[in-house]
Amino acid sequence: MSPLNRAATRPPTTHRASVLVAGATALALTLAACSSGEGVDAEGLEEATDPSASAEDSGGGAPAGTLVAALANTPDQFDPHATTSQASFQVLENVYDTLVVPSAEDLSFEPSLATEWTTSEDGLEWVFTLREGVTFHDGSTFDAEDVAYSLNRIIDEELANAFRFGNVTSVEATGDLEVTITVSAPTPNLLANVGGFKGMAIVPSESAGLDLATQAVGTGPFELVSTSAGGVELAAFDDYWGERPSISGVEYRYVGESAAALTGLENGDIDWTDNVPAQSIETLADTEGVELGQTGGSDYYYMAFNQTQPPFDDVEVRRAVALAIDREEITEAATFGAGTVNQTAIPSESFWANDYAPFELDPPQAEQLLADAGAEGLEFSLMVPDSDEPAVASAQVVASQLADVGVTMNVDTVETGVFLDRQGQGDFDAFSWAWVGNIDPFDFYQAQHLSDASSNFQGYSNPEVDDLLTQAAEETDQDARKDLYAQAEQIIVDEVSYLFYFNPDVVEAWSSSVSGYNARPDSAVNFETVTLTD
Amino acid sequence: MTTYVASRLAQAGVVLAGVAVLVFSLMQLVPGDPVRIALGTRYTDEAGAALRERAGLDQPVLVQFFTWAGSALTGDLGVSFRSGEPVTGLIVERLPATISLAVVSILVALLIAVPLGTVSALRPRSVVDGVATVFSQAGISIPDFWMGIMLIVFVAPLLALPTGGYTPLTEDPAAWARSVVLPAITVGVTSGSILTRFVRSALLEAADSEHVRTARSKGLGHGTVLGWHVMRNALLPFVTVVGVQLAYLLSGVVVVEIVFSYPGLGELALQAVQSRDFPLLQGAILLFALVFLVINLVVDLSYAALDPRVGTR
Repeated sequence: MSPLNRAATRPPTTHRASVLVAGATALALTLAACSSGEGVDAEGLEEATDPSASAEDSGGGAPAGTLVAALANTPDQFDPHATTSQASFQVLENVYDTLVVPSAEDLSFEPSLATEWTTSEDGLEWVFTLREGVTFHDGSTFDAEDVAYSLNRIIDEELANAFRFGNVTSVEATGDLEVTITVSAPTPNLLANVGGFKGMAIVPSESAGLDLATQAVGTGPFELVSTSAGGVELAAFDDYWGERPSISGVEYRYVGESAAALTGLENGDIDWTDNVPAQSIETLADTEGVELGQTGGSDYYYMAFNQTQPPFDDVEVRRAVALAIDREEITEAATFGAGTVNQTAIPSESFWANDYAPFELDPPQAEQLLADAGAEGLEFSLMVPDSDEPAVASAQVVASQLADVGVTMNVDTVETGVFLDRQGQGDFDAFSWAWVGNIDPFDFYQAQHLSDASSNFQGYSNPEVDDLLTQAAEETDQDARKDLYAQAEQIIVDEVSYLFYFNPDVVEAWSSSVSGYNARPDSAVNFETVTLTD
Repeated sequence: MTTYVASRLAQAGVVLAGVAVLVFSLMQLVPGDPVRIALGTRYTDEAGAALRERAGLDQPVLVQFFTWAGSALTGDLGVSFRSGEPVTGLIVERLPATISLAVVSILVALLIAVPLGTVSALRPRSVVDGVATVFSQAGISIPDFWMGIMLIVFVAPLLALPTGGYTPLTEDPAAWARSVVLPAITVGVTSGSILTRFVRSALLEAADSEHVRTARSKGLGHGTVLGWHVMRNALLPFVTVVGVQLAYLLSGVVVVEIVFSYPGLGELALQAVQSRDFPLLQGAILLFALVFLVINLVVDLSYAALDPRVGTR
């Protein structure tokens, strides 16, 4: 793919991005198994004495102690409630706080602006006790009104994450430092819905007159100093309620071209980047002065068929395709090995994962199924968005694999905006893309496979799955909930509502002078506890 | 002279109005519903209708056009779908970066083209001419994104130059120069190569004309002939080409801007295309048209200064 396309950024409001919505959530409690990846090793500290690895030496005019982060994509705006751009959240993560926050270790929810919370017996009332002595970046004092204002703003103005509050009947300040959220049905993943990521950030109730798209007034460790077309500057916030960051600030630069980002990283011009193409991983791992963070991610790539019309309204035809593809080959081509094959959506490290893999590569059986369905010589077109390299690469591999069983699949690479439009209108035979940042099974399955769900573009409908998903969404017992999702998942996989490919790794790279940073499975980029050494 | 300028200005106005109509109609033909794209997976019929109403997209096309054109006249180009910020502000924010790059690139191009083109015109078919031809061919043929990446990977570390980004001139002149130099070389080499060939042929043509032969036969010195009779006559076509190049560069150099993560107008326009940010795209194209018109006007007026025969009608 040309540098032009790469840098051209993912679409502003995309699938991928809004999936983050669907996604950056974290599940309560139980994700203990979710590893948080390779850390920064202690050697980093020694190597950091190498002047070539120091941030200040290298120009850019950054003051000492400022971390320079190169983002592959450009944020669209900085209103945490309105944006769906992943790049925006890579900045906002460090500026805003939420009531609770997924821990770096296992994504279980920890106190943040709320110090504790209780649920009523019937599960319909959540009471959050708020932290005392928290100050906004503009100097105003944080209280329950701010929480009520923020969450109601999302709900009333139908902003990006309003769908997370579908069950919520009211958010009220019931004390100076107490907020009560009332729900219409038990909502076991409420913590994820109010604190999964910074899309549900708390803004000051006096912010009505502010333009939050360009200004940011949060309670987080860094405050937004300035924004420009080329980047953003953050400075450590002196009155932060937690421990003040040891670095003086973060300078984000938008660097779409990965060669530039990686050269900058090696020169010491740049301290951190997420612009690491899969083919560079091996080289980077051997580069002195550069640390590579790679951890199993919770995104997934898939293919979906238009089930509202022949031939893919026939489940046997979809199964035939499922039997004819080789996921190992697809994953290798799409991620250069930085991914894990999966026949479901949920990565194996997750508490919610089930080891379910019913399809084994079997071209003769695939041909047989196609013949039985009267679909020999099947020809169809697969729509993929041009901005997503792994999606495009996997499509080409699948096309050649399907050719082996006599199926002609034409890869229709379209501009991302066109993709979204045609997807929304059901104008496709099949399409392939990714969902990013999912953690709760609600994120993985609900919006995609429930009969009337917003992202069920493929037209899948099974009353049994609807029942299971609906029950699971309200089940408060974690094990029972897991079991319900497992049942739904099996049907979804068996009936090939989606044909799942793999979970790509989260890959980031940073200079050895940076310590205290880890790549997280939810791809959140948090510089709060990072230190820079010369 | 005044009538000349006035008529040129009137023409420019007509062209600009034509461009506005054209840009606006093109937007209607581009595939992809902007509202659906703006809302992405949050799209519902109600949300779509609400946004359509807010953006005025539910109005008849003609009404939309005149509303837009009317406020464009006052400098208000509407609000970006993507960021919710005023389009005029987004464009103005990027102007200094784009102007810096365009001007420095043209300087680089002239520094290459004028000496090289002159030398090879003075000695056509000599070794110097051969070298200049090879150089300019290479400059035209090397893709700018490749050259940009080579400069980033090999030259930037060597000279401790930044690998991308832009520092405003007003903030730190030294850092500004360092941030502009590599992109300007990338752009300037391509432009310079084109101009080199142009300078050469313009000079050769002028040197071949009869008045030059007359000047020589009058016994004027070599330098006087070259400076006074050849160069001055070659200047007209040269200024035209430089003007066109400059206008082209001022509209943003998409590929180079992206390689160097340089926040200029080209990158902005590309983002607008990709996100179907119609207000932003319309604004950007209108500005580009304006830039071409203004520069052409300036070039034409400079003819009058350079050549007394122009504009006296």
